Amino acid sequence: MQRILLLFSRTTYRAAAFLAAARRLSVDVTVGSNHRQALASHTPGSTLVLGVAAVDRAVATIVRFASDYPLAAIVAAEDDFTHVAAGASEALGLTHHSPAAVRSVRNKALMRERLAAAGFPSPWFRVAPVQSDPTDAASGSPFPCVLKPLSLSASRGVIRADTPEEFVRAWNRIRRILKDSDTVRRSGDAGAEILIEAYLPGREVALEGIVVGGELLTLAILDKPDPMEGPFFEETILLTPSRFPKKVQSEIVSTVQRSAAILGLDNGPIHAELRVDHGRASLIEIAPRSIGGRCSAILRFTPDATLEELVLRHALGMVLRGFVREPGAAGVMMLPIPEAGVLREVGGMDQALAVQGIKGLEITIPLGQPVVPLPEGNRYLGFLFARGKTPDDVESALRVAYSRVAVRVEPNSGGREVSVTEFFPRGRHPLQ
Amino acid sequence: MSENAKPSVEFTDRARDQVLHFRQEMGENGNSALRIKVGSPSPLDPRYEFILIDPHERGSEDVVFDDYGFDVVMDPESAKLLDGGSVDWVETIKESGFKIENPNLAPIGSKPLEGPLAARVQQAIDQFVNPGVAQHGGSVTLVEVRDSIVYIQMRGGCQGCGMASVTLSQGIERILKEQVPEIASIQDVTDHAGGTNPYITAAK
Repeated sequence: MQRILLLFSRTTYRAAAFLAAARRLSVDVTVGSNHRQALASHTPGSTLVLGVAAVDRAVATIVRFASDYPLAAIVAAEDDFTHVAAGASEALGLTHHSPAAVRSVRNKALMRERLAAAGFPSPWFRVAPVQSDPTDAASGSPFPCVLKPLSLSASRGVIRADTPEEFVRAWNRIRRILKDSDTVRRSGDAGAEILIEAYLPGREVALEGIVVGGELLTLAILDKPDPMEGPFFEETILLTPSRFPKKVQSEIVSTVQRSAAILGLDNGPIHAELRVDHGRASLIEIAPRSIGGRCSAILRFTPDATLEELVLRHALGMVLRGFVREPGAAGVMMLPIPEAGVLREVGGMDQALAVQGIKGLEITIPLGQPVVPLPEGNRYLGFLFARGKTPDDVESALRVAYSRVAVRVEPNSGGREVSVTEFFPRGRHPLQ
Repeated sequence: MSENAKPSVEFTDRARDQVLHFRQEMGENGNSALRIKVGSPSPLDPRYEFILIDPHERGSEDVVFDDYGFDVVMDPESAKLLDGGSVDWVETIKESGFKIENPNLAPIGSKPLEGPLAARVQQAIDQFVNPGVAQHGGSVTLVEVRDSIVYIQMRGGCQGCGMASVTLSQGIERILKEQVPEIASIQDVTDHAGGTNPYITAAK
């Protein structure tokens, strides 16, 4: 039986889906993680402890492991381990994006530099040391602009500034986020700088795909119907198929294909984020992995496969041709965290699940635990899943169901009921 | 077709009346029959389908009985799984529908833990699994062994842990299959959303 090494961050959302996919493909699995499994001593070969920051050491560990347990493929579920997966795959001659390509997209500034150097349409950008004077950094920047840590994902630490004053406040806030020990560990050298980009107007979309020998296989284009105009960029609803005209969808695919080629992403999954303005697509970022959180649950393919199965199939050199997304529409809503505090209660779940088209609701933060919204927060409150005939049906189901969910957060100053609209004043509520 | 066979499924008066009401409401002329199918035989989530069918929708292998004023049609596999069951009609504020009591698909955990297989699985959990997961504040409870499938519940630090699926597939399942090779698979029936103190919580 072939063996695949699945690399998960210790805080992964993705383990169950990938393990189920491996089981369906009848491949043996070793799980590599920055976490020692509780039963590791009884199950040699089933798990491997790897560091995230010391990539060379982790690669050497995998190569040694492979001499005892030969590996047919290595797949990283999250950003944290994509460097390691690329390095070890190269050392063992396995199918994967190259280490150089992964390096270029894991650092948002490097990605911008590579794309701009190749003449790819790019927004104005520059990089400044996090310790520099934000007032100096603001001078010469266009407004509105967006400030970004170089290597955090899922919109963490991404803040829009419309004025020099907002720029300074955003800068100082990101500086605090980067001081967080976990953040620094994940960022490595990339934690020392902040990327400043001109704000790209337009609607946001995501593209999920697998690059096979340099050719992009588009698995889904996912619309984000809520306006994401800042100051923070919390993702909420994803819908597929896209409602953009076919011509715009072709432009989205073409933009991702060209940028992947420039960046050298030629063999593996990709998740790209773009802005579409007046029919023109602009790349925001592209990651050498599949979609995060539990969002992949809405992507199913015929004949009978999950997204994770397709990712593993590609890594194992199996045929991908013939798989198409299941007919109909699907969507997921990443439930926003309304306020910092302690999660005390999530009510209305049965009522939300009773909405026609709603297929599931998962709360992924236990009651009693602290919750922190963006831009500092690093956890999803939960996920709401829907299917329907059209994207409109799905969007409607998600919004109706979400309106029935009552989240009670106890702020540090004392308990009170939190209504969603209270924290998203009229005109700014991302879900209206 | 085994016409007019002895009923293997009982209907309460409410269930019978409801079927007759549906037939009348749909303008049926008396030829339609009720098909009952076991949609999912999983004891974790058994599902049944009820549908009125026309005569031409019956199959040659179907099992049929007619003791309630209408024909009840089942495919052979469903008839086997439903043998000895009963159908009721329930109406509450939240929902209404047919409800099946089926001793063949009794919910997991409703049968006592007994037999040599369960004892060996319990011993493996006590000896190898629980001392390990206890290091993370967790524990594993054997809920039932049925048809060579082991059903377990995770508690403490394992309940809701972001790495629970890894512990299950890379640890518990491997240990139990090594110690008790005749078991077919392990099913986790934990309500992970109800975990209040997981060892690891998922994060971006």
